[in-house]
Formats: sequence, structure tokens, C-alpha cells
Amino acid sequence: MLKNTNLMIGLLSVVCLMGWALPVAADEALDKAFDALKSYEWGQDRAVLKAIDDAVVASHGDKAARKDLETKLAGALKGAPQAGKDYICRKLSLIGTAGSVPAVAGLLTDEKLSHMARYALERMPCEEAVKAMRDALPKAKGRLKVGVINSLGVRRDAASLGALTALLKDSDKEIASAAAAALGAIGSPEAAKALGAWDAPKELKLAAADACLSCAEKLLGAGKKDDAKKIYMSLAKPDQPKHVRVAATRGLLATAGK
Amino acid sequence: MKNSVITTRRDVLKRAAAMVTAAPYVITSTALGADGKPAASERITMALIGCGGRGRSVIGGLVANGAQVVASCDVYQDRREAVAKQYQGKAYADFRELLARDDIDAVLNATPEHWHAVISIEACRRGKDVYCEKPLAFTIEESQAVLAAARRYDRVFQTGTQQRSDGRFRFACELVRNGYIGKVQSAFAEPGGTARHCTLPAQPVPAGFDWDMWLGPAPWAPYHHDRCVDPGHGWNWRDSSGGLMTDRGAHDFDIVQWGFGMDGSGPVEIIPPDGKDVKMLTFRYANGAILESGQGGWGSGGRPGALVVFKGTKGEVSVWRGGIKTDPPELADVKIGPDELHLYESSNHQGDFLDCVRARRRPAADVAIGASSVTVCHLGNIALWLNRPLRWDPVKREFPGDDDANRLRRRAMRQPWRLC
Repeated sequence: MLKNTNLMIGLLSVVCLMGWALPVAADEALDKAFDALKSYEWGQDRAVLKAIDDAVVASHGDKAARKDLETKLAGALKGAPQAGKDYICRKLSLIGTAGSVPAVAGLLTDEKLSHMARYALERMPCEEAVKAMRDALPKAKGRLKVGVINSLGVRRDAASLGALTALLKDSDKEIASAAAAALGAIGSPEAAKALGAWDAPKELKLAAADACLSCAEKLLGAGKKDDAKKIYMSLAKPDQPKHVRVAATRGLLATAGK
Repeated sequence: MKNSVITTRRDVLKRAAAMVTAAPYVITSTALGADGKPAASERITMALIGCGGRGRSVIGGLVANGAQVVASCDVYQDRREAVAKQYQGKAYADFRELLARDDIDAVLNATPEHWHAVISIEACRRGKDVYCEKPLAFTIEESQAVLAAARRYDRVFQTGTQQRSDGRFRFACELVRNGYIGKVQSAFAEPGGTARHCTLPAQPVPAGFDWDMWLGPAPWAPYHHDRCVDPGHGWNWRDSSGGLMTDRGAHDFDIVQWGFGMDGSGPVEIIPPDGKDVKMLTFRYANGAILESGQGGWGSGGRPGALVVFKGTKGEVSVWRGGIKTDPPELADVKIGPDELHLYESSNHQGDFLDCVRARRRPAADVAIGASSVTVCHLGNIALWLNRPLRWDPVKREFPGDDDANRLRRRAMRQPWRLC
């Protein structure tokens, strides 16, 4: 009887120890991974970061754990080398919220990391992420600016409309073309007006037409048939390439409910 | 209008040929359309973008069916120049310059997976018809963007899932769709697993290769030979591929969707293996049918590659490249009747594309089919990455109430590339 009782006590102790030890082991692995992040470079074994990968997946449904993880990741951004920052942005693209936007936004004008900053921000379903990209627009240059414009288009940021309209006149044709595409993606009556008023240079006529068609589709989808029809009628004219006229004609049929 | 131009040019060629007595080879017979091949004036002019092994093979099939190649493009200088030389066309380093040509009717997009959407969309925007190798696109959002562009410009768009032009797969799906195996309960396929993260170190970029352009919309990483060269499994890295799940799944799940009658739609639940009750990645459809996907890949367990098995309440049909087997065996001899459902019939995927370009109709693996099929692949990957069951709305194309999963429907493209 005493022997059985001792056995039971022993087993219970082991179970309690495991209940304490497993999370401690997991915490240690996570700390070790964050430590490895400080010097993580391409060519190194990604297994050193696995504990973070696993923690991100496991944090689904656990608000406190997720918040803690997000804070740690955002905090690790500053000290990490490029590959480490790349990794952090990928993780924040999965779990990032308004809380990590300031840390990521700082990379939007970084030549090497602007894309990964957008990689994170484009996926964060919060207004703060869009605002950060909107605020970065005047600061970004060249192709980084194109990238920010593209992301604002993906997010259909109506608040960027004024800035994007001004960029239609940019001397950099990639920027002007991106601005047109973003306006098309926003697809509002105001965007349609801006695109309609744009006298696109010859090399951007096709980009302008495509942006207008994209805009028209959004307007049609929103029930704004008359606005869509105006665009389609302007693109059905003989000065447009055949495939654009075909697209415009199909659009007109759609506005007529056919 | 185009036909009258062709007739006029054809007549001129014929009259010119008739006037020549001393030099019978001035006008070649192929120029006038001998041996069943279209006359030069009726040939569809094409360009190959992505001059790797698959691209060269498929463009050969298109040429055999009457296309004329006038241009090539690749980030490897030697590849694009070799194709240009082979077909007496012009080589381009940048696909945008190629697509700006007015004399190109259609393109074959045989680039790596991460480039499919951008190039296909730009081709549509430039008024070209497209044959795009599978998988159609790198993300769910990209597949929808490609579909939208193709429809906007009313382009003929063939996805390179050539099993849709294989009579065995069609017959198998017709048996299923016409109820010959009873109510379909399940399907099995074994495309393989998801892509891996690449951790290769940097190497010097070789001369004649544009690494920045190879990366395109994918995140920047240092060049390494094995990041982008098959059989270094360039298609198996997470930033440029969905792994075998998309590379082979684009074929396997496409046939399952066809057999299930789910083109344009998809499953409603995706369940990754849990090491306990769920042994395989499982997709559940609204009608109760399930698709079980093995991660072993084609050929594992001695099973034939591209195997799809449909099981129903009254029987079973297994189909693969080169074979079909039914249970009961007599199902293999069924003749699908005139009043029964007949699926799209094509016996030559490249020929079908060119026929549809001429006739302006949707081909065997139309872009909408490619989009819904590749979406099943992406759903599988997302379930594996998140390691939990997911619900999917195939109409709204979203994961209802699941922010984490919905984030993975897209990824930001590296500048200057975009979808719209």
C-alpha cells in the first residue's frame, strides 16, 4: 500500500514537473531563436528560427501570446541584419497589427527593405498600415515610390487619391503609370474623373486605358452604371487599339445588363 | 476583315507561284499551306517567354500545329538567343519590349511560377492571347487578377494543364459525372508537399543572366545557382513556387475538379493531417465528396504518376498518364451516350489553343478553370502552413472570419511589378 502511494506521488511529481518544464523549454527555445535573429544571414540554417515559426502558428486564437510575439518581433527589427529583418517582416505580415506598424514603416524608404516592409503592411488589415504607406509616399523615391503606389492601389486607398492624381504628371513614366493603375484599382467616381482628365503621353496611353477599364469594372460592381458607361464610351472610340475597343464594348454590354 | 486580307495575300502568293517556271522553290509549299499546315499568311504568330526545357517543348508543339514563332524572351541570354536562332526570330531580354510588338498574336508564358501572373496580365493588356504553363498563378489573388485581365480583353487563354486534352482523363471524368460509379464519395491524388524556404548562401551572378529580372516580383535574395535551376528544384522554393502542391497539384486537382463538376468553384473545408485521425491533407466539398491528397509525390508507393482515383457508391475509376482502370472492369468499355454529359473534347492541347485563337472560343483549360484549379492547390498550402482546419467560401473566395488565412491569399510584389 505504501509502495503504491509512493509510486502515485512519484508519478504525480513527474507530471507536475513536465507541466512546468515543457512551457519553460518552449520559452527557452523561443528566446534562443530571437537571439539567433540578431545575427541571422542568408546561408544560415533556418532551423535556428523554427521556434518563432512554430510560435506564430501556435498563437492563433491566443491574443496575449500573439501580442507578446508581435511586440518581440517588432522590437527585434532594429538590431537585425538584412536577412533577419526580411524574416521579421514575413512574420509580421502574418500576425502584425497597428502595434507593429511604426517599426515596419521605418523601412519603407530603405532601398533594400522597402519591399519587405510593404510585404508586411499590405497584409495587415488595419488603417494604420495603409496610412503608413500613404505617409511614406512623398518621401519614397524612384522605384521605391512605385512600390508604395502599387501597395496603395492594392489597398484601394481612397485617401491617397489627391497624391496619386498629382503623380499622373510625374516625369518618371513608371511612377505615372503606377499612379494610374492605383487610381483604377481605387475605382471611385473621383478616381474616374482624375483618369478621365489625364492627358496621358503616347507611351502611357495603353496604361491609361487599362486603368480606366479597371476603374469602370469597379464602378459597375458598385452599381454605378452611368459612371462606368462614360468610361466605356470614351474607350470605344476608333483612336483606341482594337482590343481596348473590344473591352469597352463588352463593358457597355455589361452596363446594359447583357 | 482579317480573312479578306489573308485571302488577298494567299491569292497573290498563288499567282506569283503560277508565274514562276524556272525556279519552283521560290515560293515554298509550306508558305502556301501544304501538308495540312496553315499557309504562312494564316499562321498565328507567337512568342516564347521563358525558354527553359518546358517552354521549348511546348512551343515545338505549337509550331507543329501551325504557329509561327517570331520572338523569344528569357533572363538567360543563351536560352533566348538559341530559341531566336532556331525560329529565325528576335531575342528579347525584357518581355515588355516583346509584348509591345503589334505583329505578335499570342504568347507562350513558360516562365517560373512567380512570374506567371504579371506576364500573362501584361500580355492580355497588350491584346495577345495566352498559353500559360501551369500552375496559373502564385497566389489566389493573382489567379483572379489573371482571370479578370483575360476576360476584360476577351483573350483566348489556355492553362497548360494538358491532361484536359487526354482522352483517358476525360473519359474517367465522364464516367464519374454520368454516375457510372454511383454517387461520387471521394477522390485521391498524390501531388506532393509544399515548398521549402530557401536558405542558400550567395554566389556570384553568372555573366549573361539577369538575376534581378529572374526574381521579378519575388522578394530579393542573393543569387545561388540552385535557387532557379531545375533539377535544383527551383520550383520548390517558397518565394518562387508553391512546391509540388502547385506544380503537380495543378494537374491532379484539376482532374479532380473536372470529375467532381467543380470547375469555377472549389472545396468548403480543408483539413491538414493531424497525426491522428486525419492521415492526409483533406478537402471537403459542399456535396460531401472529399479529396484526399498524399504528400509523397508522383510515383510514391509504386503508384503511377499523375494518378487520380475516384471512388463512388457503385464503383471506382483510376486514371493516370498512360492508363485507366475501373471497378467493375466493364466500366472501361462504356460508351458515353448522346444524351449523356460529354465533356470538352480535345486531343491536342496546343492544337486546341490555336483552334480557339482562330475561332475566338474558350479552350479546354480556359483561364477560369486554371484559376479554380490552382486555388485548390493554394488552399492546401495555406492549410499546411497554418496547420489547422480551414473553412473556405468558393463563391466569395475568402476564408469566412479567418483573418490569418485571408492574409495568405496574396503577397506584396517587389517593385516595380504589380498585378493591375
